Amino acid sequence: MRDVAIIGAGMIPFGRRDEDTLMDMLAYASLKALDDAGLGDKSVDAVYVGNMGGGMLQRQTAIASSLVDRLNLMPAAAETVENGPASGGSAVKNGLLAVASGYYDYVLVVGGEKMREVTGWRATDFVATMTHPQAEYPYGITLPGMAGMFTRLYMEKYGVTREHLLAISLKNQEMGTLNPYAHVEMALDRGGIFDSPHAIVNNPTSADPLHLYDLCPVSDGAAALILCPLEMAKKLAKPPILIAGFGQATDTQTLQERDDPTDLKAVTLAAQKAFEMAKLKPGDIHVAELHDAFTILEIAESEHVGFFKKGEGGKAAAAGKTRLGGQMPINISGGLKARGHPVGATGVAQVVDIVFQLRHELPKNRQVQKAENGLTVNFGGFGNNVLAFVLRRVQS
Amino acid sequence: MKKEIAITAYKCKKCGKLHYPYHDRCLACKSREFEQIKPQGNAKLLTYTAIFNLPWGFDQRFLILGVAEFENKIKAMGQIKADSVDQLKVGMKMKPSWEPIRVQYGEDVYGLKFEPME
Amino acid sequence: MPIDMELEAVLRPTQYPMPPYPPKTITLANGKVMVVRQAVREDVPAILKSVHPCLFIERDYYDIVSARLYGELLAWYRYRVKSEYCLMGQVDGYLVGIVNGRMENEKVGMSYHTLAIDRGLRIGSHLFAAKMEYHLEYLGQEEVLIVAESPIGFRRWMIEYPLEATKIPHELGGGDSYLLTREIYFKAKPRLVVGDRPVSQELMAEAEAEIKFADDDTIRERIAGLKGR
Repeated sequence: MRDVAIIGAGMIPFGRRDEDTLMDMLAYASLKALDDAGLGDKSVDAVYVGNMGGGMLQRQTAIASSLVDRLNLMPAAAETVENGPASGGSAVKNGLLAVASGYYDYVLVVGGEKMREVTGWRATDFVATMTHPQAEYPYGITLPGMAGMFTRLYMEKYGVTREHLLAISLKNQEMGTLNPYAHVEMALDRGGIFDSPHAIVNNPTSADPLHLYDLCPVSDGAAALILCPLEMAKKLAKPPILIAGFGQATDTQTLQERDDPTDLKAVTLAAQKAFEMAKLKPGDIHVAELHDAFTILEIAESEHVGFFKKGEGGKAAAAGKTRLGGQMPINISGGLKARGHPVGATGVAQVVDIVFQLRHELPKNRQVQKAENGLTVNFGGFGNNVLAFVLRRVQS
Repeated sequence: MKKEIAITAYKCKKCGKLHYPYHDRCLACKSREFEQIKPQGNAKLLTYTAIFNLPWGFDQRFLILGVAEFENKIKAMGQIKADSVDQLKVGMKMKPSWEPIRVQYGEDVYGLKFEPME
Repeated sequence: MPIDMELEAVLRPTQYPMPPYPPKTITLANGKVMVVRQAVREDVPAILKSVHPCLFIERDYYDIVSARLYGELLAWYRYRVKSEYCLMGQVDGYLVGIVNGRMENEKVGMSYHTLAIDRGLRIGSHLFAAKMEYHLEYLGQEEVLIVAESPIGFRRWMIEYPLEATKIPHELGGGDSYLLTREIYFKAKPRLVVGDRPVSQELMAEAEAEIKFADDDTIRERIAGLKGR
């Protein structure tokens, strides 16, 4: 197996991109990554596109074939990878394995989603189609609903409070105001969403016990990476970022069939595998992008990957330990909460954000000082398909 | 007329593990032989939520859903008949029924409902 | 334009007496304080300047809502309706949202339109609630007729209150009206109607000093731009 490096990273601002089609967004992000890698007019050997909803939302299939055509990357190999909200992470994984195996040298990985094409009702239904088709979906369950049921149990078992969840909303939306790629650029006020009696309208219950600002927005967006063997990357101007570790694990589709529904086994396993491969420990990580589609997930994941003991993640967040400059900075991009969650794009965007961090190219108010190692966790379904990547800055 | 609860759980013939919904191989021992089991008795509420942003196909203000465990240990999701989550608590006894849970293509779709008994 | 006051006397409907809406303040999710207060007829030209850029925004049906609102406000300004009112939200003096309505008769109110000029802060929800509060608690009406032009409006009013469907026709030939009764209103009030009274003299003075409005591009960007939520 060859070591694989990221030599190009690009993202387009997430938000409501009414003027762009799904293909436009995928193309723009791809071109940014190609340019970032300095590939210019050169082609790549293979393309992996992470996308969950093209078939349902745009009635478009074979998206990767269409993308190589738009970008004139022919005759590169190309396929679309659908793995729910972990489609982006799965696309990165496919690119990684393809280069590591020695079969391809240069690979474009791009994730994108256009969710605002449809109304909120349709988008909610689209995301809910990943639940069990007989035992869950017909009842009207939604992903926030799954998160609500999980949160109730997690709060009870580990003493997580609304105060802890609030710390995540406030931190991530504050960071979003600094990130030009973030969908939500509005800092929240504790009084406005929690303390004041007016908060009942500003921040209503969305999926009890979760409230509106515990949930990520519904966004359009795309992000892309260029991968190649580390040996070939060393000649380039920008510091290559090594994909030092990778792990993926699955779990039962329904929460009720897990021995302990508060135990996100797939998160633990995916992270463990990634750490083992990278020969690193959670304590070696300087910056992480965790899948905070719901505030509870940032807390739960921070515990399951090993940054904090179970029951300590919420307290750590409330104490500011996960802020920039804290012991373990998490979601400095604003996370899904503020960057947005175009489902197929997220897993790629998380890696792009860590690449920016490890190259030390962000402005001071977002840069984790001397960051050498980063972690991403892309959470599919309700934790039934999870990918984790450990990235490392290579000293040249 | 009260309808029978039309869900089937699957008990592994080899190790006895109970499954709902269906799996082709046992989640514990990978055996492929199952005995079909019907849920029995009342149920105990394991967790619940009230969802306020509902998917297409639901036009009410909110929907309360939960997962409950029957007396013979089958666990399943269902809609909860309550006006508010304030009437619910984890562990409470629920009466199950099989009723319309939504309308699709103009037809009622039936499923599990739970009603608090306390 | 010279106005023939003799003809005007014929054309102008008799104005219904309407008690004032007492102003209130609401703390928004971003911590800013919105003053909700009733506009006077003389405010209309200033308000229309903020409505104008919205006429050309297709997203979320801003075009149709603002075109109708524009016409309604103009009709009020030019004395062509008998019972119209307009409430507005201001943050730091800036106009962030407008709602209007009228009295169909003493007992029945009609909700006209809700236009949020700043988004993602539930300004529309707050102002719509203020409008219902005005009809039922200050005008003392029994019920309010409501029609939604956008899916967002439908979700906010018809589903969140929730309103009662009727067969009462829309006055411009739109979909049938929905109804807010006193019973529905008072049941929904604890979770939908908030605000503090009285408004401090300082905030009131700032709001009344000038109705400030963002420039057209800023308004368009907020509503229809990339970060619009």
